[in-house]
Order: sequence, then structure tokens, then C-alpha cells
Amino acid sequence: MSEFERFVPPPEAVVSTPGADVMMPTTDAKGGPTLTDTPADIELSGVVQVSERKQARRENWRLIRRRPAFIVGVLIVLTWTICALLGDRITPRDPFKPSSDTHVAPGAKYLFGTDSIGRDVLSRVMVGARDVIKVAPLGALLGVLFGVIIGVIMGYFGGWLDNVLSRIVEAFLALPVVLVALLAITTLGSSTWVVIGVVSALFTPVVARTVRSATLAERDLDYVTSAKLRGESSMFVMFKEILPNISGPIIVELTVRIGYAVFTVATLSFLGAGPQPPSPDWGVQVSDGFRVINASIWWTTFFPAAAIASLVIAVNLIADSVQSVLEAS
Amino acid sequence: MSIVTAPPTAALAVEDLVVAYSVRGIDRAVLRGVSFNVAPGEAYGIVGESGCGKSTTAYAALRYLPRNGKIVSGRVLVAGEDVTNMTTSQLQRFRATEASMVYQDPAQAMNPSVKIGPQLIESFTLLGQSRTDAAKSALEALGRVRIADPTRVMDRYPFQLSGGMQQRVVIAMALACNPKLLVLDEPTTGLDATVEAEVLDLVRVLREESNAAVLLIAHNLGIIRSLCDRVGVMYAGRIVEEGPSRQVFDDPQHPYTVGLLRSLPRHGVRKTDRALATIPGILPLIGTDLPTCVFVDRCPLADELCHTVPPPVVPIGTAGVRFTLCHHPDRIPDLIEAEPDVPISILSPSDTDHEVLELTHVSKTFRQRNVNVPALVDINLQLEEGETLGIVGESGSGKSTLARTILGIESADSGGAVALDGHDVAPNTTSRSTADKRAMQMVFQNPDSALNRSWSVRRILMRSVEKLTGIKGDEANARVEALAAHLRLTPRHLDLKPRQLSGGLKQRVAIARAFAGDPRIVVCDEPTSALDVSVQAAILNLLADLQSEERTSYVFITHDMGVVRYLADRIAVMYLGRIQEVGPTDDVFNGPNHPYTEALLSAIPSVDGEATTRIRLEGEIPSPANPPSGCVFHPRCPRVIPGVCEVTEPPLLEVSPGHAMRCHIPIEELIVLQRKPLSRWAPVNEE
Repeated sequence: MSEFERFVPPPEAVVSTPGADVMMPTTDAKGGPTLTDTPADIELSGVVQVSERKQARRENWRLIRRRPAFIVGVLIVLTWTICALLGDRITPRDPFKPSSDTHVAPGAKYLFGTDSIGRDVLSRVMVGARDVIKVAPLGALLGVLFGVIIGVIMGYFGGWLDNVLSRIVEAFLALPVVLVALLAITTLGSSTWVVIGVVSALFTPVVARTVRSATLAERDLDYVTSAKLRGESSMFVMFKEILPNISGPIIVELTVRIGYAVFTVATLSFLGAGPQPPSPDWGVQVSDGFRVINASIWWTTFFPAAAIASLVIAVNLIADSVQSVLEAS
Repeated sequence: MSIVTAPPTAALAVEDLVVAYSVRGIDRAVLRGVSFNVAPGEAYGIVGESGCGKSTTAYAALRYLPRNGKIVSGRVLVAGEDVTNMTTSQLQRFRATEASMVYQDPAQAMNPSVKIGPQLIESFTLLGQSRTDAAKSALEALGRVRIADPTRVMDRYPFQLSGGMQQRVVIAMALACNPKLLVLDEPTTGLDATVEAEVLDLVRVLREESNAAVLLIAHNLGIIRSLCDRVGVMYAGRIVEEGPSRQVFDDPQHPYTVGLLRSLPRHGVRKTDRALATIPGILPLIGTDLPTCVFVDRCPLADELCHTVPPPVVPIGTAGVRFTLCHHPDRIPDLIEAEPDVPISILSPSDTDHEVLELTHVSKTFRQRNVNVPALVDINLQLEEGETLGIVGESGSGKSTLARTILGIESADSGGAVALDGHDVAPNTTSRSTADKRAMQMVFQNPDSALNRSWSVRRILMRSVEKLTGIKGDEANARVEALAAHLRLTPRHLDLKPRQLSGGLKQRVAIARAFAGDPRIVVCDEPTSALDVSVQAAILNLLADLQSEERTSYVFITHDMGVVRYLADRIAVMYLGRIQEVGPTDDVFNGPNHPYTEALLSAIPSVDGEATTRIRLEGEIPSPANPPSGCVFHPRCPRVIPGVCEVTEPPLLEVSPGHAMRCHIPIEELIVLQRKPLSRWAPVNEE
């Protein structure tokens, strides 16, 4: 028996493609595990990297933290969240108390100026995040939840069910967003939960379409066939087998939708469908102030509008970073 | 290292090339000093396992490296010009006029929304020809790649052509500039053996006509042998052995070459003869520090010297055309002479005589755009306990549909029956009993697709155990661990996700899953075609072992004749949804054969270089929606009898016990027609 023969029954192991090599880190910057080449480890030699997945998650997190866009986004969102949580405990003045200093321009005394009944714009902008910071994420979350359920069903079953649902989704998408929202809120009232419901209903079809196409790509993979061969129910295949594999696009969709939700909620309250005066909500403030903008009183409109913009941009910056890191990995 | 100094005339000279990919900010070496020359009119092949740097070498030769790739040191000279320090515009001119590349997937090399004509004409107008001249040149180019009706092809979109035709067009484009260097990167990997043979013939002829140097990258040793004058065996970014391909394959002088060749099922070896040899260990990842011999960790000859001193370049023979990179070329003969004698105790199917599966009159008709497309036509097959039935045929012949119909993924048409252990089973999986589901499982071609990538190995196996056997909790866990151990997976593997495993280990997990409920029948759909040869050998050994222990029956679908010969007890040859020939493996390989089988067998390039009487199939497999009249094979049959074959379909007649075929030619005549030297055919790995 030659030496060669003694090596005969090993579990083989080979890294599959050159492309895979390129993507695969051999070592962590912090000195993570590498392949050991001792004969004793031959049994395990097929393990490309033991804690590779955990490490990939860690690396993703590290990559995302390194992005300036992500940091800026998080800082802005954090600032507004703190303002919303602490409210008038940290504002320089009482955001609701009128004073005789009406329409004072921004200056040393009032940093952002005052409005038509002498309330401090800075204080009002600070507490104005209260509604939107609660309503927008909740609305987006619910919209994504329903969208995922419908989208997975459409993509998995296909056929006539997909056809019917697709037509309904398209019909929804064809309706003018603001019109539908206003109509719903005028009929159902403008409570917080109605606004959340309206936002989620608006987003469900969009999310469903994205999730449907992600599911379509998974449906024909062999692990689904294998699940059918062992007699799994459709529910199991859809939500236990397929869903975890499409979590990437769903997370991206959620972050993007939160940005849109901020935008939508602000629009609705500007149009009067949402919190009512004297609420300091940004949309309400803009709608209060924009009538006097022609009289060169710009600050009552500008600062709440800038606040809305900053939050939307911040959420989009986060969404962008999440997307590019998830797509790269 | 440069033992062969580049003659000034070399069409391609690669000198001590080091290429690295930058991964997360760190340069990781993938080529670690590659040197070789290709003379004008010569064909040079590079073989090796995936990940060894073959394709990187090809891309580096034209400086087509991916964005994170860079040439660290060394030079690439094409016709004397240094490619490594060309400016962008020089490089552009160089690629347009001096060198061309043909990729693996011809469909991706063409613009799908532009007809062949304009695409091909463009490659000539780019060279400065006028439109009318270019149109004329394009027609000539199509004629040059032996396309019978160039005018018609010019008016087609790429998707309207078959894979073989597409690859011809791509080759025509590549030859437009009369390149001095033609780089072919796995040019036939996606093609059927019959089409592959045609494309290889074409490349051979064109090489003689054009005097271009050819650099051929392939993992299929048979292709390299049949096409290349010289071959370089690559491992971990080094060429470890080089020489005339015939000499290298007949008399390998590096342990890695020996290992590669021995893991192929060759010379008609069967599972009952011996297990296949494998190469232990794993290819080092790119960027790994390999200061001495690159193969040292997997080499059976490695000793202290190999671990401390880089191996010398040892010339073989006196002609100065061969070398090996090894400390111990003198000990190579020990490796070659010893045959691995791992005993495989195969239960001969005739011992049992128990029919586990029977298909009677099984047909499957798909309905596409209100047209009936018969994918399977009147299939009758039996499978005995512990038997392996190999199913072969070109793509589109209905192999996979047959597998899916047996398993109930597709429901068979009414009128036929699938019987398991003597009782008919429901046509559709969902309406089958758990016992029936448990009895039939499947191993898929691509483990990446077959394993849920967000599940751990333990969860994958656990779910199958619970679902198929009804066992729960600790007992199920114990079974999972036993199953894993049986498949030589360690407990550590169980808590990993599929993407943390190599291709071979993933396929082991997929096989373990199929065996979770002690199946009676396992359908294997090309289970090794995505794997490297040494990994393939290990998987084939494993399947043979499992079969001998569990008495499981296999339906084994493949287009690799070497693999099917190794593993199958009987073989069924399919064409256009019909069984054309079925019989014991030896009968099918020794003949007489159905002309289609004959063509399939002769199409395969042999690594052993034995003379084959080549039979070329003309044309393409017809659409199943519109099958030819009479014998469905008659339009492509080299032995067609006019007036008979296109009129009536021949019945499947037994020509010797258990060996049946569907042909009008009397068996006595076939024997005479197909008389040939006994060892005319030798199997070879063909992915």
C-alpha cells in the first residue's frame, strides 16, 4: 500500500469558484479564524470559515458604521427622537404659550423667530416631531407587514391568484395617493390610528410588488421542491423556508418606506388631515405659516419645512447605506 | 521562475505573473508566478480544479481583470507587445486587433436585442471596413465557422439560435480581426457532448487555417487532450506540471496531476471494481501564504523537505519540453502503480429480484400556449432493489422530466402508472401518503439551490427526519447526528449554514437529507456535474457505499458517460421523451447500439486518447411540440433508411436479454456496422 492510498477516503472539499474566493475573506482584520492545514483538521477541511456568517454580519455592521451618510442620518433621526421624547422639558420656551412678540424675525432672543401669536418657533419645531416620529414608522411597518404577506402569496402561488391580486395592486397604485388619504381621513376621522392605517394601506401594494418578485426568484429553487417532496404545507414553505431568504429586500423596503411615510404624514397634516391646531406638528405649522410668506415672514414656514426635509433625508441616508451594504454582501 | 525563455516569436508569453485580488482592502495573491509560452498556431491548455487561477490567467492575458484584480508583477507579451504596461487606448486597439476571447456562456457574449447580422457586421466595421465590405465579411465569417445558411442566421436574434450555433457565432466574431491569440475560457462547458464535439472540431480546423495561438481553459481533461498540443496543470496559482498533453496525461509526473487523473472514472472502471481515488484536503484560499510547494498540504509524497524548501523545476526527458515542480518526481511511479483497493461490497441486483419501481405507459404532456408538448412518451421502466438505473441523453431529451414525474413533482398523464413496491402511487406528490413520500427522495444538481441558505445543516436534516419518519425531539436529533456521521459530516458541520460549506460538503448534506427517511429510491439529477473531479469521485464513492449498505435504488440522471458507467447497473438512453435504448451497462457500452447511443458515445473527448470513430450528429434536437414523423431520431440519424424510418416509429425491441432498442436496422446489421476495436471507447470525466 503506497502512501497515496492512506489518504483515500477523506471528505473532499474545494472552494467552488474563483469568484467566491474573491468575495470570501480568509482572515478577519481582527485576526479571525483561518483554515488550518494540519492533517488532524482534514475532517473539517471543507469548512470554509467557521464563524463566517456571524463575522459577515459583524463586518456588515462595521462597514455600515464607517459610512458618513449613515452616521449623519442616525444623528439627525436621534436628535428628532430625543426632542419628541423629552418635548417641552428641553425647549427654551413653552411651545404653546402666546406672547406679545408676534412675528419677530430670527435673532438672538428668538433663534427661529416667533409666529403670528408670538409662540417661539424653535420650541415648536422641537416638539413638532412628536406625531410624525410615531406615525411614520408604525405606518411603514404595518404596510410592509401586509405587503410581505400579500407579496409572498402572489409570488408563491402564481397563476390566477397572482393575476387577480396583481390587478388589485395595480388599481390601488393608479389612485392618486393624497386624494385617497384625504377621503379616508375625512370619513374615518383624523385620529392617529386612522393616519397609521391610511399610510400602511397606501404602502401595502408597493411593498407587495417588490416582495412578489423576490419570491418568484426563490419559488423555483430546488429547496422549495425538496420541501414539497417531504410534504410541507404551503404556509410552511412560504413563511419558514422562503421568507428568511428574502429578508434583505424586505429590510431595504422598510427603511425606504419609513422615509416616504414621514413625507406622507407631513403632507396629510399640512392638508389638515391629521393633528389639528394648535398642535405644533410640522405639517400644521407649515400650513399655518405659509400664508404670510409673501409678507417676508419666511421663518414660520421655513424652519418646520426644513425639519420635515431633514428627517426625510436622514431616513433616506440610512436606507441608502443599509441597501448598499446588504446588496454588496 | 522561468525555465523556458520566451522565444521572440511566441504569440503569448507569460512571464512570472503574479496577480492579486483586493478583498476588503488586502491584496490576496491568486496567481503566484505563472510562466508559459504559446507559439503561433499552437494550442496550449490549462487544467485544474475551480479556484486554482485558470480563468484569472486567461483574463490576465488580455488584461481583462475584474476591478479588484491587479497585476502585481510579471509580464504578459502578446506577439512581442507587453500587455501589462499598455495605455488604455493601446489596450483598446490591442483587444480589437490582436487578441480575442470566447467565454463560457455564448448567450452573454452577445447583445440579446440585436440580430446576429448587425452584431457581426459591427465587429468588422470596427476594424475600419465599409458597411458593404463588412456585410460581405460577416457572411464569410459565418461560412468559416461552418454555418450552413449564413443569410438566414444573420437575420436571427441570438435567442433564436441553439447554444452550439451561438457559440459558433461568438467564435466567428472573435476571429473577425484574425487575432494572433485566441483565448477560450471553458468554451463548451454549457453545451451537450454532441454539440461540444462539433465546436471542438471547429476550433481544431480554424486553428489550422488561421495559425492563431490558442489558449484553452478547461476543467475537462478530455477536451484539453483532444485539442491541445501542450498542457499546463495549474494548482493554487502555479503551473505545477507542463508538457505535451499526450505525455502529461499518459505519464503524469506531478502528484497533483496523478490525483486529478485518478479521480476520473476511466478505463471502464465500475463501482464493483473499486472505489475512485480522491485528493484529500482542500484547495488553499486565495491569498494564503504558500512559501514552499503549493500542493504540499494535500500531497501524499510530502516530507520534511517539501515543507521547508520550495520545489525545484525538474525537467522531464531530454527534449526540454516538459517539467514538473516537485522534490520527488522519482517517487511518482509508486503513486501510479498502486491502485486504491478500498473494497466496495455491492449487492448485485440480481440477488434480490424485487421490483421496487415500475413505470408503465407513463407519459407527460405539457400544455404551452394551447399546444400540447409531449415531454415523455410511453415510458416503461423497471427498477430493482439496490439497482442503479442511469438515464442519459442530450439536454431536452426529457431526463429531468422523467425524474420529476417519478417523484410526482409533475403529474403524469392519466393512462400510465407509477408503481412503488407493487402498489400504484398517486401522480402528484401532495396526494401521496407519507410512506410513499418517504420512499422516494431526490438529490439535486446544484446544492446551492437545493439547500435553504438561511437554515443550518441541523435544521435542514432535522426537518426531513421529523417530517418523513414522524420521530420528534431528542430521538430525531440523535437520528440527525447518526445520519450526519454516516455521510462523514462531523457534529461541527451541523451548526453551520450551507454557504459556509464547500461544494462537496453541501452535496453531502443534500444526500443526507434524501436519506433521512430510509428511502427505497433516490433520484439523483446530475448530482456531481457542479463539482470538481476529485470531489465528484468522493461523492460517487459515497453513493456507492450508501447503496451497498441500505440497498437503496438509484435513478441516476447524467450526461457524463464515465460517471454513468461507473455507477449504473443499467442504462436508459432518452431522446425526445422516448427511451431509445435500455440495457445492462456493459451491453450498452460494448454495443451493438442504437445509432443515437453510438453518436453519444463517440462524441466524448477521451483523456486516454484512444482512437474513436467519430460520428457527428447534424442539426439540433427537434422541438418536442412538433416531433418528426416515424422514428423521432431519423432527421439526425447517420444510418437512416430512407422510406422506412420517416414512416413508422420502430418499437422498443429486445435484442439480447434485458437489452432493448428502438431501431429499424436489424441487429445483425448493426453489429456489422458498428464493429470496432474492443477498447474503442474509454470514459472520461465530462461535466
